[in-house]
Amino acid sequence: MMELTRAEGTPAIDWESLAARQDARRARKNALLTGVFGAVGLATVLLVFALVAIIAYKGAGTISWEFLTQPPREGMSAGGVGPMILGSLLLMLGAFVMATPLGVFGGVCLAEYGERSRLMRLMHASVAALAGTPPIVYGLFGLAIFVLKFQFGVSLLAGWCTLTLFCVPAIVLTTEAALKTVPAALIDGGLALGLSRWQTLWRIALPYALPGILTGIILSLGRAVGEATPVLFTASVYYTTAEMTLGWDTLRQPVANLPYYLAEGYRQPGVVPERLIWGACLTLIALTLLLNAGAILIRSRMRRRYL
Amino acid sequence: MLTIVAVFYYLFAESQYAFQRKFPFGFRVALQPPESEYRDEISMDPTASLLATHREGTDELDDSEDVTRLPSHEELMQMQALVTATAQTSDPDQLRTDALFRDCMRAPKRAEQGERFLLLAFALPNYAGETMELAWEPDVSFDPEYCPYELRLRLVRAPNGVKVEPFEIDLRRQPKGRITLPVWKAQTQDEWLQGYLFELEARPTTSTTWATLQQYLKPDWAPTILYARFGMLPLLLATLLITCLSVGLGMPLGLAAAVYLSEQASPRIREWFKPILEILAAIPTVVLGYFGVMLIAPALQRLFGEALQLSSGRGLLATALMMTVFILPTIISLSEDALRAVPNSLREGAEALGLTLAERVRLVLLPAAKSGLIAAGLLAIARVMGETMIVWILSGGTPTMPDFSSPAGALGTLVKPTRGIPDTIAIEMGNVEFESPHYGHLFLLGLTLFVLTLGINLLGFAYRKRAQVSL
Repeated sequence: MMELTRAEGTPAIDWESLAARQDARRARKNALLTGVFGAVGLATVLLVFALVAIIAYKGAGTISWEFLTQPPREGMSAGGVGPMILGSLLLMLGAFVMATPLGVFGGVCLAEYGERSRLMRLMHASVAALAGTPPIVYGLFGLAIFVLKFQFGVSLLAGWCTLTLFCVPAIVLTTEAALKTVPAALIDGGLALGLSRWQTLWRIALPYALPGILTGIILSLGRAVGEATPVLFTASVYYTTAEMTLGWDTLRQPVANLPYYLAEGYRQPGVVPERLIWGACLTLIALTLLLNAGAILIRSRMRRRYL
Repeated sequence: MLTIVAVFYYLFAESQYAFQRKFPFGFRVALQPPESEYRDEISMDPTASLLATHREGTDELDDSEDVTRLPSHEELMQMQALVTATAQTSDPDQLRTDALFRDCMRAPKRAEQGERFLLLAFALPNYAGETMELAWEPDVSFDPEYCPYELRLRLVRAPNGVKVEPFEIDLRRQPKGRITLPVWKAQTQDEWLQGYLFELEARPTTSTTWATLQQYLKPDWAPTILYARFGMLPLLLATLLITCLSVGLGMPLGLAAAVYLSEQASPRIREWFKPILEILAAIPTVVLGYFGVMLIAPALQRLFGEALQLSSGRGLLATALMMTVFILPTIISLSEDALRAVPNSLREGAEALGLTLAERVRLVLLPAAKSGLIAAGLLAIARVMGETMIVWILSGGTPTMPDFSSPAGALGTLVKPTRGIPDTIAIEMGNVEFESPHYGHLFLLGLTLFVLTLGINLLGFAYRKRAQVSL
């Protein structure tokens, strides 16, 4: 065998130290990048805390029992946001009642029959696309169909219908995803015990998937309650100084609500003082955080029961 | 799927009102001495005639309209020496001396119909000049570019005994100009009708539908002025720019956080992190908008305010920054899902080869999760495009064409007020007359947004499916 010879003058390559140098460089790069990943993750958390903390700090002074329950006074420049809170809750409640059965039913259909036919696959794609459709498009659609076509007028009813449309696709998707996590063994076990398909679904799959479904519903309601645009043209009124009374008439009347109050308060600068704006911001955030906390609580409790 | 069809159908049905629009136009025409002080600004000439179709015009002759009837010969002699006059009729044979007006305003027509105006021009005996000039210019706020007609000004008839070459001017090419004419004097009121007779003709070139669509792609959005303009290009570009900036900024950040979550963080941290992300995702966008107005906009104002003479920090950059905050939780949780879907065997294999974490991410995880990550980006794009409240509150509300021809222009584009598609719908729908062309155009904007986001969402869905299949 021929011996490998080096050309005259080339220094010997010290493989060991070259590898060590390379390793050191790789380690440095790795440390840098992992540091960056961690820092960004940490920054995101800090951002959330900062946002909530600043709004809480600015708004805390405004919050009082009077602010939360009284209607605005003196041409919106004083008083509280009672009717707005009530309106937001009403809108959310109606959307919850209407969207939940529709969404869960749709999710069950998709999970059961989702991959079977081309039509169902198309359905699935449409639901996914609708879930990403901008709220303003739902607002326009609600205006065209509920307010004008069905003659609901700008009213609580039209707002409910629009919000329901807005919420359903998201609920369908989370329900479907939750049902997909049900272990096949459980389903097969149910079927093997002689349960019908329907019983398996009702008694085994749905209870197992319930935390996921509930989380989905609550999160999409949380989104709906904070979103001004679907109700902008369909259910909202800005200037209210009257106490809100509940009755059948309420259905056909527009309602004040927190997001619209904030949006319009911005459009007409100088009417609503900054103090009230921050207060309303804080109230709205508190409302959505409460919903979120509920979702988290439900999830952790239910999970414990099953695992 | 039914809902998609329904949404599409109704948005489309309502946007038909956009296609019922009519196309107003207006020109001021004056006869004036060659050395007139109004040479450059004839719109200031009080004797100019306005030939226009717009919403203040009517089809019928109506004395109560604020169209000025032409005074008598003697009265005119005391006021001016050169006169232009119009009639309601478009037929040269039906001109009557006692039915002449200073201006002629008619109701706008559909693009297929066109319009003709007649204009008489003559000098009075007290005019001393050697020649006179016919001058014309577009009415205030009228831009011939926004008119689907072929606009022509032509000489129909010269007075007896005056030799002039017949001419015809394309007003779209030459919206403003003068032409010198030999003087012709009307000695009595009865001779008025024998003066120069001009015609302004708007000849249809295209159908209303086509014209509406063409206008829709022009760079000027001014729906409330007399000669309304519905060009959505600045709105579309602003929306796209905001989307590019915020997703361009949010995607690397979100990806880094997602890598941290799925690869580095302990299960305990992850358990804490998810709810916090959900909280961020749940903060209402109105609140985010306010946050931007009270904190980010003033900061930008301090940075650039003096150099660029900004009245506030509201604008594209402020909007895009807040939009990044808005989209971050979506990107993080979707990318994390995509990364976690990568099978552990790949991770372990890469680790067994001695790759460091950074190398594992770059060489193994990112390529394996590519489809899912693209899906995450696409969904983020669709959400940002349609987000309304942040743009409404932070954009500043002035439709502006982006200008990237120079660095200064680009910086100005970034920090100056702008306006996107969703906030335009939200702002203007509040005070629009139902079923008017403006209303129709807002639905047309909604339809545009819907089609765009629908396409992006479907693409995102396809990528997500592919991610599930390939892993």
